Order: sequence, then C-alpha cells, then structure tokens
Amino acid sequence: MAALAMGMAVATAALSVSLDVGDRLAEEFRSLGANLLVTPQADSLPLEIGGVDYRPANAGTYLPEADLGKLKTIFWRFNIMAFAPILEVPVQAWSPASKNWSSPGTVGNATLIGTWSEHSVPIPDGTSYVTGIQKTNPWWHVDGNWFGEGSEECLVGTGFSKNSGVKIGDTLNVQASDSSGWRALKVVGVLSTGGPEDDAVVVSLAIAQTLAGKPGQYRRLYVSALTKPEDAFARKDPKSMTPAEFDTWYCTPYISAIALQISEELKGTDVRVIRRVAEGEGNVLTRVRTLLWLVTFAALLAAALAVGASAAASVIERRTEIGLMKALGANSGLVGVLLAAEQLLLAFVGGGIGYAVGIVLARALGERIFGFAPEPKLFVLLIILALAALITLLGSAFPLRQASRYDPAPILRGE
Amino acid sequence: MGTYSMFWRIERRLLTTNYGRLFVILLALGAGAAVTSALLNLQIDAKKRLTTEFRALGANVIVAPRQANNEISGGATLDEGLLSQVPTQYEGKPIPAVGFLYVIGEVAKADAIHFEPAVIAGTEGQGLTQIRPGRRSEYIANLENDPDACEIGAKAAAQFRVHAGDSLQLRNQGRIASCKVFAVVATGGAEDTQIFTKLKTAQGLADLDGRLSLMQLSVTATPDSVKSFIVSLSQRLPSANVSGIKQFAEAEGRIYNRISGLLSATVLLVLFLTSLCVMAGMSNVAVERKNDVGLMKAIGGSIQRVVRLFLTEAILLGIGGGLIGSFVGILTSIWLGKAVFGVAAQPRWIVYPVSVTLTVLVSIASAFPLRRLATIRPASVFRGEE
Repeated sequence: MAALAMGMAVATAALSVSLDVGDRLAEEFRSLGANLLVTPQADSLPLEIGGVDYRPANAGTYLPEADLGKLKTIFWRFNIMAFAPILEVPVQAWSPASKNWSSPGTVGNATLIGTWSEHSVPIPDGTSYVTGIQKTNPWWHVDGNWFGEGSEECLVGTGFSKNSGVKIGDTLNVQASDSSGWRALKVVGVLSTGGPEDDAVVVSLAIAQTLAGKPGQYRRLYVSALTKPEDAFARKDPKSMTPAEFDTWYCTPYISAIALQISEELKGTDVRVIRRVAEGEGNVLTRVRTLLWLVTFAALLAAALAVGASAAASVIERRTEIGLMKALGANSGLVGVLLAAEQLLLAFVGGGIGYAVGIVLARALGERIFGFAPEPKLFVLLIILALAALITLLGSAFPLRQASRYDPAPILRGE
Repeated sequence: MGTYSMFWRIERRLLTTNYGRLFVILLALGAGAAVTSALLNLQIDAKKRLTTEFRALGANVIVAPRQANNEISGGATLDEGLLSQVPTQYEGKPIPAVGFLYVIGEVAKADAIHFEPAVIAGTEGQGLTQIRPGRRSEYIANLENDPDACEIGAKAAAQFRVHAGDSLQLRNQGRIASCKVFAVVATGGAEDTQIFTKLKTAQGLADLDGRLSLMQLSVTATPDSVKSFIVSLSQRLPSANVSGIKQFAEAEGRIYNRISGLLSATVLLVLFLTSLCVMAGMSNVAVERKNDVGLMKAIGGSIQRVVRLFLTEAILLGIGGGLIGSFVGILTSIWLGKAVFGVAAQPRWIVYPVSVTLTVLVSIASAFPLRRLATIRPASVFRGEE
C-alpha cells in the first residue's frame, strides 16, 4: 500500500511536471532576448556598428510610440511576452564638474539610448500592459536602481562610468549633438550588459524623444514572443500555401506567423526574425522536450515496476488465507475475484493518496528545478487511477494464477 | 575455514532457493541500475550536446581593442596578426573565428550614379556562417572565393535593388572599390543592412592596412569553460580586450541547470522506486524465512551472524543487478542520445562504477524488512505464533 502510494506519487509528480514544463521552458528561453525586430519599412539604411546607429538623428524615418498597444491585439497576443522600443541619440555628455557654461571643459561624445524600463502601455481594449527592456533583455544588470519612467534619471554603462568617472548619485548633463537644449540627469544606476550598451547612457524613452526632437517616436522595437519551433511546414512560403494551409499556419504560433501579424497591426513596419535567437531556441527546445518525455517515461516505468512488485508481494503474503478459503470450499475463480477486487480497492485508495503526495512532490520539484509550481490537474488524477488499477492487476495476475493452483493442505500445514 | 565455507553454503542456498524471486529482485535492481546509468550518462552527454546546439546563437566571445571605441574615424583597431594567434581548437572542438573591419562608406549598384551610405564589413577567417547565423538566399557557391566577392544583408539588398551575381560600387573618402554579390543573407540583426566584403577590400577603403575593428569567436563549451577560455585568451592577447557575450551565456547557464536538475531528480526518484520494489520482494523473503531464522537461532547462531548473512545477500544482489543493469543502461543511453540529440551518446565508463555503487546502496537499504528477523524468538516461531 505504501509502495503503491509512493509509486503513484512519483508518477503523478513526473506527469504534472512534464505536462507543465514544456511551456515554462519556452518562457525560460525568452531570457535569450528578443526574437523579433521591428524597424520602419521606408527607411534609409541604418549605419549600425556594434549596436550603435551612426546616422544623424534627423536621417531616416521613425515609428509612432502610440501604436504599440496594438501589439497586444494580434491573434497570438498572449504569446507576446515583452517588447521595448529604442530611440538612440548621439549626444555630448559632461558632468557639471568637468564643464559649465562659463568655462567649457571636456565634453565626451556618447550614445544615449532611450527605452522603457517598466512602462505601462495602454491597450486599445481599455486595459494596460506593463513591459519594457527589463523584460526583453533580462541579462541587463543594474547596480543601483533603474530610471523611473519619464523622470530625469539615467543609467550609465560600466565602460562609460569607468572612462568618465561618473558614479551613482552624480549629475550628468547631456545635449543632442545638433541642438542647443540640454538636460541634467541624475545617475541612479550603473548598467552592465556585456554589449555596446556598456559605453552608453540609458534613459527613459520620453527624455530621448525630447532631446532628439522626435516626440512620441522610436526607431527600433524589440519583441520577445513565445513561439513554436519551426518545422518543415513553417519553412514553406506563406504565399504558396493553399487557403487551408495558410489558416493553419496563421493560427500556429510560428515566429514567421507572429511576425506577419505584427506587421499587419503596425503599419509601415518591417518585422524581421532575429535568426540566431529563433533558431538557437528552436534547436535546443526541441531537444529538451524529447529529453523531458524520455525522463517522464523512465519515471513511469520505474513506478510501474515498483507498484507491480508490491502488488505481487501482497498476494504472496496471503498464501495461508488463500489456502483456508479453498479448504472451506471456495473455488479458484471466487478467490481470484475476491483478491482482484481487494487489489482494485487498494489501487484506488493508494492511487488517490499517491496523487495527493505527488502534487506536493511536483510542487517541490518544480520550484527547485524550474522555479514554478505546476498546477494540479484533474486529468492527471484520472490517468494515475487508471494506471494504478492496471498495474496492480497486472502485478497480482501472476501470483493469483499460481494461487489458484495451490493445494490447500500443504499451505495450511505451513510447507 | 570451516565456518566460512558453511557461511557461503548457506548464502548460496539463500540466493537459489527461489529462482522466481531472485529473478524479480534482480530485475528490479537491474532496471533501476539501467535507468540510473542511462540518465547519468545522458546528463554528461546532454551538456556537451547542448553546447553544440547553443552555438546556433552565433559568436560568444568578442576580441576588441583596449580602449572604448565610440568614434568611427580614428577609432582604435587591432592588428590583423592577432587572428592567427587565436587557438584553432578548444576542448577538441574547432573554434570559428572571424576578424571584422567596419567602414561607413558609400555604396551604389554598378552603373548607378546615386550613392548611399552603408556599413561595409571586411571579413577574414574561418566559419563566418557560424559566427553570424542567418539564412542565405541566392547563394552562388563558385563566386564565394573570388577576391572581389561580397555578401549583402537582406535589407541592404532591397535598398540597392541588387541580387546575387550583380556588382556593387563602394567608395570612402575618394578611395573606390567594387565587388560582386555571391549571396544575400537574412539574420534579423544589424547584419541585414551591411555589406560583407573580403578584409582586403575594406582595408583598402578605410586606408587601414593590416587592421581589424574586432574579432568574433564561437567557442563550443559550457559557460564556465568559456569563461576560462576568455581568461587564457586575454593573457595570450594582452593588447586586446577579450569579453564574452553575456546575453547568451546567462540563458545557457540557466538552461543547463534546469536540465541537469531534472535528470538528477529523476535518478533519485528512480532509485527510490527501485528500493521500494526490492523492499516488497524482501518483505516476502522475511515472511518465508521465519522458520529458517528461528532454527538458526535455536541451534546457537548469533544475531550478528544472521544479519551478516542477509547483508551479504543484499550486497551480492546489488552487485549482480548493478553490473548487468548499468551495462544495459549505458548501451541504452547510446541509443537514447541518438533519439534525443540525433548523435549517439558517447559511453562514459565513469558512470559505470557510480551506478553500480548506487545500486548496491539501494539494495542494502531495501533489505530493511529483514530486520524483523533479528527479533524473532525461536520458540514462538516454531509454535506458529509469529
């Protein structure tokens, strides 16, 4: 009984974790960063090297920030995990100690990156959605605090901080290279990303927009979407699909389908799949999913073996009782039915207890390994009860058959 | 001597009296050992395999000049010779390494008069497609090794209306060059707007002979191992700044931990279930042996001796089941590796002793029901009371 319950507990835990983990793992992979990049369609060619766009601020076209809520209205809106618009402005930066207006000192050229840290985006259906660069780029580490949305605060990259000596708490003055207006920003954090942002100043999008003279506009949008790894069907050209195929493709969260849906909502944009992320994720996720099912299968197999063996053991222990029943005139069929009924009852009780224990176990395992607790599913309970019944019957079938052939006399004599 | 031969004689009888049960217990132990060794082997292998899969993410190490490079003209550069100082292999895996020189020049399709500014990236080295993953279209293979060949990003190709086979004019501050497009590449990143030429072409345009803007490497190894590679490479190249790309390293590390944790947890659960299974068998044994043990005690066998008998039995069973099961498990994992990762897993024999030891431990632990026998009082057993 204990063995039965424990075996079923393990089976429950394995099933619930692996049923939930597939989706969770896909979310885990979103820590690789955005997998879609949205840029204006009719644009001059960006002069981007190492993440910095060397175009002057007034070259090229921009996209309206106000449209971004529409991202959460596409067919796969719940698969859009996060997005963050970017506006880069080449600036001159100085700390008040190094320059003031009466005695100009050293002025450093820097890139100012305007983005959302945690921005509440109004959605056309009246709700709002909080997202930003903290969610799209989780590897951005900040010593200190993030800047507040729209406040006169900034983050400086570690490289920038090292070269200029600007620290948390200092004030940094910035001025767009081709205008005269300047802003004084309070440094609230030091950013380390391991990328080109380490040499930049990061501020709230609204501030970058005023500095660049482009209110309400951005230049690049990073979107992080949960997708289904691409298979042969996803690689077909949507233009060559039959209408039925197109519907299937459109209603599957392939990255190419989500890209199309975004470009339908955000007019005048070019939505591109960031291949390295999408493909790296797809490859690994497919492998890990197979591995996960394999592991679940191994756990189920071991549980079945344990439960089967304990069922067999419990029948063998009953030899004297079986002998007595037979001596009193019960035929083999009746003994078999009686014992089978008992085993079934045990299976249901044991399976039920096992399910309860298994849910606790699944929570512990899920939280330790994946950082989330799987939800209990009724469906798993049904599988577990069916499995318990099947395995106990199978496990006791063999000893029962033997028992039906017992000759009562030697058993009762204890031989 | 006589006592020992008696000990082993009893031991042999204990093991062989009931072949059916011996088979069941060995099956349970063997199955447990097989799953354990297969999963342990797969765990070692999964890490290696996943490092390979993760390289679809492209470069993970960047070698840049020492000082920060914010200005385009007069910015710091590296010596081209550094490229040959990068090791070609790490942990037995080749390292794709490519040097880049970026120039902001002006570009036009051949015969066109209107030039537009664009980033021209000169490249040199092995494995550009691994460093910069993307999809190539219109690929003309026999043009690739032409000294004037170039590859164009999808967005730039659309802007200049060029296809593979067309020629481009490149110019920068009075210096001019031309190149022939051999492929159009879509990466989804900044590369889509760049033009990739041979290094010499870009160096000529920039008037920076023998210089590089940076080098990118794709090192196939676990995140920790990549870290030590970075340390050793920065000692080898003191003039440069070697750094890892954090974006992917962190996510990789996290995913390894998840998978490793999952496999270890499964191994533990399976071992636990195995011991349940063996325990069920052993409690039968305990019931059956009441009389035997009663007799042993009645004729003067000490409890210690009796316990030693059963412990030896458990260890022998564990070794037997472990040896066979682990072997089967390692063989299975070769096939499983193929099913999961498409490449047969390498059998790692270090797993073998580990898994046999675990099995023996499980077997000893599951002899727990036999402790009932230690407290048996011979008289009551023979009267049939216990």
